[in-house]
Amino acid sequence: MESDRSDSSGPITQRAHSLGASAGSATDTRGKHRIQAELKRIEQEARFLEEELEQLDKLEKASAACKEMLSNVESTPDPLLPITTGPMNPLWDRWFEGPRESKGCCRCCWIF
Amino acid sequence: MSVSELKERHVAAIETVNSLREQLKQKRRLLLDTDIAGYAREQGRNPVSFGPTDLVCCRILQGHTGKVYSLDWTPEKNKIVSASQDGRLIVWNALTSQKTHAIKLPCAWVMTCAFSPAGQSVACGGLDSVCSIFNLNSPTDKDGNLTVSRMLSGHKGYVSSCQYVPDEDTHLITSSGDKTCVLWDITTGLRTSVFGGEFQSGHTADVLSVSISRSNSRMFVSGSCDSTARLWDTRVASRAVRTFHGHEGDVNTVKFFPDGNRFGTGSDDGTCRLFDVRTGHQLQVFYQQHGDDEIPHVTSIAFSISGRLLFVGYSNGDCYVWDTLLAEVVLNLGSMHNSSHEARISCLGLSADGSALCTGSWDTNLKIWAFGGHRKII
Repeated sequence: MESDRSDSSGPITQRAHSLGASAGSATDTRGKHRIQAELKRIEQEARFLEEELEQLDKLEKASAACKEMLSNVESTPDPLLPITTGPMNPLWDRWFEGPRESKGCCRCCWIF
Repeated sequence: MSVSELKERHVAAIETVNSLREQLKQKRRLLLDTDIAGYAREQGRNPVSFGPTDLVCCRILQGHTGKVYSLDWTPEKNKIVSASQDGRLIVWNALTSQKTHAIKLPCAWVMTCAFSPAGQSVACGGLDSVCSIFNLNSPTDKDGNLTVSRMLSGHKGYVSSCQYVPDEDTHLITSSGDKTCVLWDITTGLRTSVFGGEFQSGHTADVLSVSISRSNSRMFVSGSCDSTARLWDTRVASRAVRTFHGHEGDVNTVKFFPDGNRFGTGSDDGTCRLFDVRTGHQLQVFYQQHGDDEIPHVTSIAFSISGRLLFVGYSNGDCYVWDTLLAEVVLNLGSMHNSSHEARISCLGLSADGSALCTGSWDTNLKIWAFGGHRKII
């Protein structure tokens, strides 16, 4: 189950405070344009969030993704696992092969 | 509209956004009927069990004289490029431990490096805000140094991460302290697309990491100091496909899951998370107390080739090996007697065939780890 703590909306409230703090400063068109741009950005974000909310109604539950993930993981050969599906590739053990002129070392010789 | 009216509208808009975010969060919570660990346990899966000599350090790559910050393997052969605080890139043959190139950088403050898909070039970037490309086959200058073959300029902040687009030697993606990611055409040196930034919806703080999907190279994920990860389609620069909330600190590292339908993240909040690309669900949180001390940050992550193992480097020197399906720590490479690094592991990467893990550390070394035990094929 999801266990994340409450999502912080820190960046949004901090920006609001900094803009509010400048309310007392002299009227300046640069400040007005800045607020307009920020407003436009936030209104656009609200539209994106509304779209996402609508899409959630058609969304599969997490268990479907978990099922697919389990299947993908277990069907892929993995050289770093003690137990893995095949086929095995002999090149996986090249890290433990000695120089060609000497006999093949056992793996323990390569442990640092 | 007057400034005060604008400000009122601004406050109202913020309330709307916060309310929508809360609604989204509640609705998503209802769809999280399980996480990966819950599902896997229900299906009767047991954690991966390693013997004491299974995962072993089989090479130590020594040569840097400063902290190692980044590393990348070639897609095909056994070569690795590493970047260090000593102001150099070194290209290694990981199998023989030999250095094939030592590149002195024009700007020593390097943060990231990457190998081109064909293995003929390396890219790097850092505090100079530029991504520099070196052709490994070029002749060296009179001092024996490789010269930069292309400089990708345009970022207005440091280059934190770079990755070549899979199977394309001519395109790469960078992330930057200027809050954007950029897709570059290396042939022309020009920006093909800018993701985020001043006039577009995107990250609201420094972007620290980027990862491109291997199964669909038009999709990439970015992680940022704004605590979010964002999914992008390179054909649509104006907005992220989806924003992933959950972390409570900088997202330092992102990595696509091998199947391309999920990605992992690592953060200053000490957790790693696994998100589903298509639904946006947060499928798993990976967190384990490290002791009574303060929570260490996650610096780097990498998945094994099947995705069953998640390797995580932390700021306190630990390198946990997580069983991704059961969300349990099955090994700590940071505490292996005589083998572990002596300082923080800053970067991790798997070889192309998944047979070896390379770790890079602030102790100036890189180490190669492979499976040296008895393997059972089922």
